[in-house]
Amino acid sequence: MLFSSISFLYYFLPIVLILYFLAPRKLKNPVLLVSSLFFYAWGEPKCVFLMLATVLVNYIFGILIEKAQKKIFKKLFLFITIGLTLSGLLYFKYTGFFVMNYGRLMGWPLELMDIYLPVLPIGISFYTFQVLSYSVDVYRGEVPAQKNPITLATYIALFPQLIAGPIVRYKDVADQLRERTHSFEKIASGVRRFIFGLAKKVIFANTLGEFCESFYASTDLSVVYYWLFAVSFMLQIYFDFSGYSDMAIGLGKIFGFEFLENFRYPLISKSLSEFWRRWHISLGSWFRDYVYIPLGGNRVGKVRLLFNLFVVWFLTGFWHGAEWNFIIWGLYFFVLLLIEKTFLLKYIEKSKVLARLYTLFFIAVSFVIFSGNGAIEAFARVGGLFGVGGIPFVSSSVLYAFKNYGFVLILAILGATPLPKKIGESLLENPRTQKVTDILEILLLVVLLVVVTAFLVDGSFNPFLYFRF
Amino acid sequence: MKNKSIIITILFAVIFLSVSALCLAFPEGDYSDSERRELAKFPEVSAENIESGEWQKGFESYSTDRFPARDILRGVKAAFVKSVLFKSDNNGVFVADGHLSKIDSSENPAMMSHAQERFTFIYQKYLKDNRVFLTIVPDKNFVLANKNGYPSLDYESFIGKMREKLSFMEYIDVTDLLSADDYYRTDTHWRQEKITDISDHILNEMGKGINGGSYQENTSPYPFYGVYSGQYALPVEPDEIKYLTNDTIDNAIVTYYPSGLPQKGEMYNMEKASGKDPYEMFLSGTMPLITIEKQGGNPKNHLVLFRDSFGSSIAPLFLEGYDKITVIDTRYTASEMLGNLVDFEGADVLFLYSTTLLNNSLAIR
Repeated sequence: MLFSSISFLYYFLPIVLILYFLAPRKLKNPVLLVSSLFFYAWGEPKCVFLMLATVLVNYIFGILIEKAQKKIFKKLFLFITIGLTLSGLLYFKYTGFFVMNYGRLMGWPLELMDIYLPVLPIGISFYTFQVLSYSVDVYRGEVPAQKNPITLATYIALFPQLIAGPIVRYKDVADQLRERTHSFEKIASGVRRFIFGLAKKVIFANTLGEFCESFYASTDLSVVYYWLFAVSFMLQIYFDFSGYSDMAIGLGKIFGFEFLENFRYPLISKSLSEFWRRWHISLGSWFRDYVYIPLGGNRVGKVRLLFNLFVVWFLTGFWHGAEWNFIIWGLYFFVLLLIEKTFLLKYIEKSKVLARLYTLFFIAVSFVIFSGNGAIEAFARVGGLFGVGGIPFVSSSVLYAFKNYGFVLILAILGATPLPKKIGESLLENPRTQKVTDILEILLLVVLLVVVTAFLVDGSFNPFLYFRF
Repeated sequence: MKNKSIIITILFAVIFLSVSALCLAFPEGDYSDSERRELAKFPEVSAENIESGEWQKGFESYSTDRFPARDILRGVKAAFVKSVLFKSDNNGVFVADGHLSKIDSSENPAMMSHAQERFTFIYQKYLKDNRVFLTIVPDKNFVLANKNGYPSLDYESFIGKMREKLSFMEYIDVTDLLSADDYYRTDTHWRQEKITDISDHILNEMGKGINGGSYQENTSPYPFYGVYSGQYALPVEPDEIKYLTNDTIDNAIVTYYPSGLPQKGEMYNMEKASGKDPYEMFLSGTMPLITIEKQGGNPKNHLVLFRDSFGSSIAPLFLEGYDKITVIDTRYTASEMLGNLVDFEGADVLFLYSTTLLNNSLAIR
C-alpha cells in the first residue's frame, strides 16, 4: 500500500487512527503492530512471514547477546544474527543478480535463469538495516535487549517508515517505543509534515516522473532533451524520496514518535561530500556507524582507508538495487569523493556558484546512471548527455517538454531550496502577519489535500520507485 | 493563533473521517459518462485472491474509481495542472485553435505491421480480382499539433510506411482536403457535413465521375460532448452533430448484421444520438457488417468498405457513386469468416482507416 493512494488515505489511515487513539496506552503498540502487518501484507501477503522471522531471530539473539557473559559468545551470537538476517536480504534481493550474471557467463537461456529469481519483498533493505542496527547496538551495549517481542516487532514493522525509510535506529526510538507523548502540537505538526510530503510526492515527483516516462518513450532524443531529463529525474527522485521521508516523519509524529531527518536540502550542497551529509542521511550514517567505523574508519593507513571507502560506496550502490548500474553509481561517488577530498575541494570552495554548479552537474549525471535498467542503458544515457551516437543538439520534442514542464521545473527547483520554508516561517513568526498566515497555512493544507486527492482520483502517474531497494 | 494545533488536529480528523465515511456510503456509480468507461467493481473476496494480492489490487482500483465526486475532482486536477503548473496538456489532451486533441506522437511499428498483415490476408483471400483502394485519414493533430507547437506523428512517414507494405492497393490521398474545421472540436472524428468534398474526391479517384451531391443539413437536438471533453475534465462547449440527407439516403435500405443474421437498420440512429457516444448515431456505431442499398439500384454497382469509426459517417455519402455499399468492421468480425457473409465478386473495395486506429490496431481481426 502506498501512502499516496486513496486506499491508504481514506480507508487504512482513518481506521488506524481511530483504533490507535481509542486504544489504552498498553494496547497502542499492539494496535500499531497489527496495523503495520496489515499494511505490509496488503501488497505482499506471504512476505510478512519473512519479516516476522527476521524479527524473531533478532529478538532471540538480542537477548542471547545481552545475556552472554563472555565476549566470544556475544560475538558468536552477533555473527549468527547478522548472518541469518542478511541471508534473507541476500537471497531475495541478490540471488537474481548473481544468477543472471553467472548465467550470462555460462550462456544459460533466459528462461532457465528466470526459475531462480525470487520475488523481492518490498522494503526488505530498509527493515533489514533497521533490525541489524538493533542487534549491533545491543552487542555494543548501547541499548538493552528488548524483552517484549511485540515492542521489537512494532519497531521493525512500524508502517510509517517500513517500505521507504528513513532507516530508524532502535536506540533513537527505544524510549519512545516504551513511553511516548501525544499532543495536539505534535499531531498538528505531523499532519502538516505529512501533507507537505504527500504534495511533494504527488504533485511534483509524479509530474516530473510523467515527463521522465515521456522521455523514455521518445524516439526524438537530443542532447538538450537528455539534460532536461537529467535535471528532471534528479528532482523527481528528490521530491519522491524526501516526500516519502516527510510523510514517514509526519505519520511518526502523529503516533507520538520523533524520527530523525532524512533530507536537508541536498541539492543546494556546495560539494559532493556535503551532498551526502544532506541526502538520505539515515542510510549514510548507517553505513558510517555499522560498516565504515567497524572497518577502522579513517584511523588506518592510506591503502586500508581506500579499501574502507571502496567497500562503503560499493555497498551503498548495491543497496539501492541489484544491478550493475547501481554498483557503478556507488563507485562513481567513491572516485569523485576521493578526488574531492584529496585536492579538489579547496579549489571549488573558492566560488559558491562554481561549487554549486560542480555539485549539481555530478549529481545530475549520477542520477542518469541511477535511472538505467542495467549498465548498458545507464552508459547509453550518460553518452546521450554528451551527444554520443550523433543525436542532434535539440529536437522538437524537447521544445514541447520545456513548454509543458518548464514551470513545474522552476517550481521544483525553488522547492528544492530552503526558500519556501524560510518565507513561510518568516510570515508565520511575524506578529503583524501571523494571524492571517496562520489561517492561510490551514487553508493551504486543506487545498493541498484536495489537490492531491484530485490527482489520485484522476489516476495520474503514481509510481513506487523503491521496489528495487 | 491560539489553539492552532487543536484546530488543525480536529479539522483534519474530521476531513479524513468524513471523507472515509463518504467513500463507504456514497461510492460513484458503475459507469463514468465523462470518461466513457466502466468503473472498477468491488473485487471478489476469496482466499486465493487475497493470497495472490489480486483482491488488494482490485480494491486499489475500486477505491480510486469510485471516489465520491469523481468528476469534480478530475476537474480540480485539470484546473490545477493548467492554471498553477501551467502545463500545456492534461492527460495528454490539449486545446489548440478551439479544438481539444490528444498527443499521440509515437509510431507503433508492431501495430502498423499487424494492420498490414490483416489487410494483406484479406486481400489475398478475397480480393485478388477486385479493384482495391486505400485511404488513410490522419487524426486531427495533422492539422493542429505542429503549428501550435505540440508533438505529433510524422504523418508523411507513417502513411508512407503503410502504403509501402500495402502497395497492392491504390492509394487515395485526402490529406490536402482536411482542415481543423473538418473535425469536431471535442472529439476525434470528422464531421459528416464537412467531408462531402472528401467523399466526392474518393469517388472520383475510383472512377465514378461525381460532380458533388446535394444534401440537406440536419442538426441533432442533443449536445455532443466528444471523447476528449471527458478526458480533458474541464468544462467545454459541446459540439453539434449535423447529418446529411437527400432522397437517396432517405430511401436507402440499411441492413445490420450484428451476429450474421439481417435486421433492419438505420442510417442515422437518433436513439444513439442521445446516448453515451452521440457519434454512434452514424450507422449505429459498432457494427460488424452493414449493407446499404439504393432503392431500385443495381446491386452490382457495389462498394465494399473496410473501415473504422471514421467510415460510419462517410459511408452514406458513397451512395452518390455506388448502388450498394457493404460496410465491414473487422474489429467485430473475423476476417476468416468474411467469405461466408459477403460476395466480393465485381465489387470495388476501399480500406478507409484513421491513423489512430492503424497505430493501435490490435483490435483488427
